[in-house]
Amino acid sequence: MKTITFKVNGAPVTVDVREDWNLLKVLNEKLELTGAKEGCGAGECGACTVIVDGVAVASCLYPACEAEGREVETAEGLVLANGGELTELQKAFVACGAVQCGFCTPGMIMSAKALLDHNPAPTAQEVKVALAGNICRCTGYHQIVEAVLAAAEEMRK
Amino acid sequence: MAAELAYLRPTTLSEAVSFLETVAGAQPVAGATDVYVGIRSGKHAPAALVSLKAIPALGHLTPDSPTDAYEGKAEGGTADLGVLIGGVVTHGAVEDSEWMRRHFPAVHQACSGVGSRQVRNVATLGGNICNAAPCADSAVGLLLYDATLILAGPAGERELPLSDFFVGPGETRLQPAEILKEIRVPAPGPRTFAHYWKHTRRKGVELPLLGVGARLTLAADGTVEVARISLGVCAPMPTRSREAEQVLEGKKLTAELVKEAGEVAAAHALVRDTWRGRGWYRREMVRVLVPRVIGLSGALS
Repeated sequence: MKTITFKVNGAPVTVDVREDWNLLKVLNEKLELTGAKEGCGAGECGACTVIVDGVAVASCLYPACEAEGREVETAEGLVLANGGELTELQKAFVACGAVQCGFCTPGMIMSAKALLDHNPAPTAQEVKVALAGNICRCTGYHQIVEAVLAAAEEMRK
Repeated sequence: MAAELAYLRPTTLSEAVSFLETVAGAQPVAGATDVYVGIRSGKHAPAALVSLKAIPALGHLTPDSPTDAYEGKAEGGTADLGVLIGGVVTHGAVEDSEWMRRHFPAVHQACSGVGSRQVRNVATLGGNICNAAPCADSAVGLLLYDATLILAGPAGERELPLSDFFVGPGETRLQPAEILKEIRVPAPGPRTFAHYWKHTRRKGVELPLLGVGARLTLAADGTVEVARISLGVCAPMPTRSREAEQVLEGKKLTAELVKEAGEVAAAHALVRDTWRGRGWYRREMVRVLVPRVIGLSGALS
C-alpha cells in the first residue's frame, strides 16, 4: 500500500492505494467518481478518459501512484467548476443528440474538453483525430463531432 | 493479481539505477501503457516497477520550437542543431512540437500515428524503443536520422547507434539496471526530405501492418548524398534496408531509380506471416510503398 496525494477537480485528496492499481480504480472505488468507466481496460476504448495535468489520458493504463502531486479532472468536475450548470460542451452534446446509452459520454466529453482547452477552433478532422481513441457503439459519431464543433463555436462567442 | 507490486518513483537517475540493481525483480517503466496491459492480462507480473517519470533529467525535448537562428544556419548549410529527446518524452509532446514537425517530419508522423491521443499523451518514445517490437513506429522514424541512444547504468553512460540497439522481438542491448536516458538525433543538413508511412487497415488506433520510412539528403546538384530507408514489421526488429539505400546513394533521383529501390527493399525484406497480414502481401507492399514514400517526401520534385 502507498498513500498518495493529488488534486481531483480542484480539491486535494489523500488516499491509500494498492501499488498495482490504476487511476481509474482509485477514482471509481476510493473517490466514488463513477463518470470515467472501464470499457476495455487496455487503453483502446476511451471510456475511462480523464484529464491529468491538462492532457487526456486513459485512466485504466495510468498507474495510480503516478497521480501523486498531479491535477486530475473528471467529468464530474465540469458542472462543479461551472456554478452547478452544464458547460457549453455538455449542453451541445444534449442538443445535438450526441448521447444515446451514455457509457462512452464522460470519456468523449473529457477528450473533447482536452482538445478545446488547447485548440479553441478545431476543424472536423482535428476533432476526429482527438476522439479517435473514444469508441461509441450507438451514435455513429456524426452527432458527437457536430456537438464538439458547435460547442467550440459557442465558446468562442 | 499476484503478490502486490511495488511501485517506486525515484527522482534522480542514480537512484533509479540503484533501485534496478538492488530491488529483486524490478523493471524500469515509463508511460506504462504496455506494461499495465500486460499486468492486467496476467501475461506479466513484475515484482517491482521503477518509474522513470519523476526524473527531471529525462523529460526534455530540446529545442522545442523553431528559432530564426536555426533557420539561418540551416539555409547556410552549417546547421549543427539536431534534437535531444529525453527518455520519458511522450509521443504527444513530439506530436505537438513545431520543431519536430518542421525538421524531423518522419519522426513527427510516426509518433502522431501511435495509438490514440490518450495513449500518446502518456506513452514514451523511450518505452517504444526499449519494448523493441518489430512494429515500433517511433524507432522506424528515428532510424532515418541516424539517431543514437545514451544509456545510463551502474558503469556510467555509453552511446549506441539506434540501428545497433535491437537484438530481436522484445530484446535489446540494454544491460541489467541500464536506462535509456536520451535519444540524440543529429541535424540532417539542408536539402533533406523525409516521410513515414504507417500502413494500416484503419486510420487510427491501429498497429502497422507495415511501416515504411524514407529520408534523402541531396547534394547541391541534386545527387543523393545520404539515403535512409527504414522498415517496420519487415524483420524481427525495426530495421534499415541498406540494400535499397545503396541503390539510391550517389545517383540522381529518377522515377526509375526509386522504383528499383522499392524492388530491392522488397527482395531483401525478412517478412513473415502473422494474423495481421501475410508475408507475401507485406513484401508486395514494400515494393509499392518505398517509391510512394520517397515521392511523398518531396525529394523527387
